[in-house]
Amino acid sequence: MRLKKHPILDVPERKEIRFVYDGNEVSGYEGDTIASALHALGHRVLSRSIKENRARGFYCAIGNCGSCHMIVNDVPNVKTCITRLEPGMIVKSQKGLGRIV
Amino acid sequence: MTEKDLIIIGGGPAGLSAARTALEAGQKVLIVDRNHELGGQLIKQTHKFFGSEKQYAKTRGITIARKLIARLEPFKANLEVALDTTVLGIYKDYVVTTLKGETYGKYRAKAIIVATGASEKVLAFENNDLPGIYGAGAVQTLMNLYGVLPGKEVVMIGSGNIGLIVSYQLMQAGVTVKAVIEAQPRIGGYKVHASKLRRLGVPIMTSTTIKKAFGNDRLEKIQIVGLDESWKEIPGTEQELYADTLCVSVGLAPMHQLLSMAEIRMRCVNELGGIVPEITVDLETSMANVFVCGDVVGVEEASSAMVEGSLAGLEAAAKLGQVHPDYLNRKIEYLNQLESLRCGPFGKKTLCGLERIKVNRNA
Repeated sequence: MRLKKHPILDVPERKEIRFVYDGNEVSGYEGDTIASALHALGHRVLSRSIKENRARGFYCAIGNCGSCHMIVNDVPNVKTCITRLEPGMIVKSQKGLGRIV
Repeated sequence: MTEKDLIIIGGGPAGLSAARTALEAGQKVLIVDRNHELGGQLIKQTHKFFGSEKQYAKTRGITIARKLIARLEPFKANLEVALDTTVLGIYKDYVVTTLKGETYGKYRAKAIIVATGASEKVLAFENNDLPGIYGAGAVQTLMNLYGVLPGKEVVMIGSGNIGLIVSYQLMQAGVTVKAVIEAQPRIGGYKVHASKLRRLGVPIMTSTTIKKAFGNDRLEKIQIVGLDESWKEIPGTEQELYADTLCVSVGLAPMHQLLSMAEIRMRCVNELGGIVPEITVDLETSMANVFVCGDVVGVEEASSAMVEGSLAGLEAAAKLGQVHPDYLNRKIEYLNQLESLRCGPFGKKTLCGLERIKVNRNA
C-alpha cells in the first residue's frame, strides 16, 4: 500500500523500477529501498531464521538490526531496508545464513 | 591509508552541528555517514520540534535537516562528505576503516567525533519476531521517507514521545491506530502529543502490556493484559486485538559499538539508555581526541544532540589547535543551552545519568 496524499509531505510521481523478486517480475518506484518496494507489494517476509526457519521481516528499517537480509544479485546478507532499488535487480528470499559464491 | 584531521562519524543532528562549529574554527572535516543522504533520523520527522528558537523550535525535523546541511555550505572548501559509507571500526592508533559498496577504505585521523546515534530497543514477548512487528521509528521511515503504509490497523506499544508522535503520523497518513499500550501507570511522553491522539479517538491504555502475538508468517492479532501496581499481570484481564502491524516503541539504546571496539572506557547507565562512554565536560572520551555527542552518549532529543554536537565540534577543533575565534563565549553558551534543555522532568533523569559518566580530564 502506497501513501496517496499527505497533509505535510508531497507525494510526487516517481519513475517505475522493474525488478525480479523470487522469480517474478515486479515493480517499485525510484527512491524505494528493496524492502520498502516489497512491503508496498504486500511482501512482509524477507527471509527465514537460521535455526528455526521462522519468518523474518525488517524491524528497524535503518540498517541496524539485520532482520531484512536477502540475496540480491547473488550476494547474500544484503540489508534490503537501506539498499536502494535498481532496475533489473534479482532479489531472492534468504533461508538461513546465506552462501558467498 | 589516507590521513585526515577530523573525522565525524554520523551526519545526523549531532554530527552536522559538530561539523559546523569545527569548520567555523577553521578545521578541515570529513563526515562519514552510511546513509544515502545527510540528516540522520531528522529526515523522516514531519513533526514540529519543541524547545527554544536556538534549537529550531516550531520547525519540522525534515526542515531542520535541510537547515543544518545548508549551514555547512559556506565552508565546503574544507568539508568532505562520504555518503553510503559505513564505518567498520575505530582502532587505538586512530585508524578508521570504512566500506562503501565493495570498496574498503582506511583513514588515520588526528581527532574523531563519534555521533552514531541510537537504535530502537526490542521487547520480549511470545512471537515478537513475526513480520508485521516493527520498531516505531521503522514505520516512520517506511511511511515518511518511502511513502509506503505499514498496514491497515496498528497497535502501538509504548507511550513515550516517539510512540505518541508516530501514532499521530500514522493517523495523518490514513492508517488506523487501534490503541496505544503503556505498561506504566501513566503516559510516558508529553501531554500535548497524547491529547492530539485522544482527540482523534485513539485509546491510550496505561498499566497494560502485550502478552503475545499470533499469526502465521505475519502478524494477525495480539493479546494484551492489565498490570497491577507491582507490574504483575492481572489474570482475567487478557484481551485480544486484531492488527496487521504492531509498533514497538520502548526506548532507544546508544550505538556504542565503535567506541567499545576501540576499548574506550564504557559504562552501562540505564538513565542514558544503555552502554555509554565516560566523558569529560568537553565530551572527550577516555581515548584522547575521540569525542562524542548526541544519542551515543545518552538518549535524549534532537535539540540537545545539536547543542552537544556544536560543543564537541568546538572542542575537537580546539584540541587540534584550531581555536574558534569566539571559543569561550560559545562554550558557555552551549553549556547554558544544555542546562536549560535539561531542566524539565525528563532532563532530571539525563542529568542523573550524566553524573555517572563524567570524569575529570586528569583523573
